[in-house]
Amino acid sequence: MNPQKINLVVIGHKDHGKSTLIGRLLYDSNAVPEQKLRQIEDELRRSGKRAFEFAFLLDSLEEERVGGLTIDVMQTPFRTKRRVYTIIDCPGHREFIKNMLTGASQADSAVLVVSAKEGIQDQTKQHAFLVKTLGITQLIVVVNKMDELNYEEGRFREISLELRKVLNSLGFHDVPIIPVSAFYGDNVVERSEKIPWYDGLTMVETLDKFINPLVPPENKPLRGCVQDIYELEKERVVICKIETGTLECGKRVVFCPTSREGVLRRIEMFGEEVRKAGPGHSVGLIVDGVEGIKRGEVVSYPKSPASPFRSFLAELILFSGVNIKNGDVLTIRCGTAEKKCKVQTILEKVDPVNLTLQEKYPNVLKEGDVGKVRFAAVEPICMEKYSEIPQLGRFVVEGKRGTVAAGIVLEVEVLEEPKRAQCAERR
Amino acid sequence: MSSYINELEKKSIAVIREAKAQFKNLAVLWSTGKDSTTTLWLCKKAFFGKIPFPVIHIDTGCKFPEIYEFRDKIAKEWNFDLIVARNNKAIKEGMSPEKGRFECCTTLKTEALRNLIEEEKFDALILSIRRDEHGIRAKERYFSPRNREFQWDYINQPAEMWDLYVKPAEDYSHMRVHPILHWTELNVWQYVKQEKLPINPLYFAKNGKRYRSLGCKPCTVPVPSNAKTVDEIVEELKKSKTLERAGRSQDKEKAYMMQKLRSLGYM
Repeated sequence: MNPQKINLVVIGHKDHGKSTLIGRLLYDSNAVPEQKLRQIEDELRRSGKRAFEFAFLLDSLEEERVGGLTIDVMQTPFRTKRRVYTIIDCPGHREFIKNMLTGASQADSAVLVVSAKEGIQDQTKQHAFLVKTLGITQLIVVVNKMDELNYEEGRFREISLELRKVLNSLGFHDVPIIPVSAFYGDNVVERSEKIPWYDGLTMVETLDKFINPLVPPENKPLRGCVQDIYELEKERVVICKIETGTLECGKRVVFCPTSREGVLRRIEMFGEEVRKAGPGHSVGLIVDGVEGIKRGEVVSYPKSPASPFRSFLAELILFSGVNIKNGDVLTIRCGTAEKKCKVQTILEKVDPVNLTLQEKYPNVLKEGDVGKVRFAAVEPICMEKYSEIPQLGRFVVEGKRGTVAAGIVLEVEVLEEPKRAQCAERR
Repeated sequence: MSSYINELEKKSIAVIREAKAQFKNLAVLWSTGKDSTTTLWLCKKAFFGKIPFPVIHIDTGCKFPEIYEFRDKIAKEWNFDLIVARNNKAIKEGMSPEKGRFECCTTLKTEALRNLIEEEKFDALILSIRRDEHGIRAKERYFSPRNREFQWDYINQPAEMWDLYVKPAEDYSHMRVHPILHWTELNVWQYVKQEKLPINPLYFAKNGKRYRSLGCKPCTVPVPSNAKTVDEIVEELKKSKTLERAGRSQDKEKAYMMQKLRSLGYM
């Protein structure tokens, strides 16, 4: 049987011990090659440090090791009896939020690390808020650095109470909270005798018990994104990446937003012919009865077709080097479609640290801001509500240097003729 | 295991097709090693048997004879457009590891590649680096821009969200595309086994030693092993406690040498 696969992002405020925790986890599970340990020991000796730095197992840049901070994300596999986890380490510093989001966008669950000493800090709340915004619903919390507080129960209870308030307000309910010391390895992989008042599970046991692998979206409505068109000998092959649902030969399919229908004659894969293909697969399609299909179109079944929209409401997270104002025209990438969309109204700006509404109808969203924005698509775009089909309910804004903002679709709206007619009547 | 490997393959093929769709003048780098041979095979699959862009081999002039043999054999059998890049000027002037490993790698590999990219105006290159190979490679993205100076600005990389691979509109010389970033060394061998891929004989043990990672002759040493077949290599790696690149000098010479090499445009 295949082991279950889980992508786990580790988040939290700077210096609360994310990299150290992962390093300890790998170390205690014997997942680190001896040679790598020796390399790190050599380097620590050279730089005059005595204690073993578990974080060095993750932080590999010179700037990271010398500065004692994580700058960019890193992924590493970790196995338990039942599972293969891909652990994603993120920077905690405020200025590296875009790197943290890069990591979080690959995850289906999260571990929030909070220092027992410092308690809840800005990025504790901000990271929890951002992973929730990205659609992650599975979370566990570790209260780290218990050793620095003599493993006191009182402080742990106090922080747990505060944490529950914050997490409940974000919609994370009944979250497991575990007291650990990453530095000494208490309650990470091994149960700790130094914390007799805690009779719950270790961090690894909690992961195995509380975090569930995502179900592949095979039973959702079919959505596939056209990547390219290849000319092979006498045939045109539509290259399509299936996002949700199952594509089957012989069925009628529709390409949107152009709404042209045809019959799927064959699915082409190199060296084999298949009758069906599911999520994640990039396959070649031979379709009868449709011409001139282009990259960016979405294939679906006519009974539950992908619908083109003119307007949508999104939660937008801005990275570095970008400001967004009402009236701006942005290039948005959703699936393989790149479309110009106009910022119709910025509805509100959220304070991502205090988790409160900061401003209603602000004129501008700046670097690091999170807000609700209504977009008007210059040409029709196929999107979905994130809550229904996440794969087509998320998008990025393209800037001069690449991705500058990420968005989650809250509502899709058909704004066209009917509404205008209503306005005319009122007048 | 095969369904897990097939998941890895699916993602890689989707990434390769994204690269082809988004860039006008793409090429793939091939060292003849296990990773880049895997990538070539994925490219073959992605384009139904015929790789539609050039395959670049960087020749430092001091590769193993087995590398040249394997290269020419596969190039013929798989019928692709092979470009060999060499920094002939530097080779003539006697560049070698004795002049410093950092200088040698930069001159014979990075510069040879840079010259070729400028000559042929490639706007994207497919490379076969993996996260688990080296800490600095773990920081990579699937689409990773190189700036006008050919350098990797690793401190200030653009975000890469979900599987929405985006190319910058300006301010980059070329894009590096990494379709097997998420594979491990073991995964590669499992795939070699599953797909029955041809593999360079240097990887198989002779007299108790085999090459685990292929580089230039002066800077690569074999590691102790008795694995003489792909199956035996898979079994060996499941138990291994040593590092894949243990036989590669670049990783040992000085702390952070790989980071510095890569920031200048090394693979």
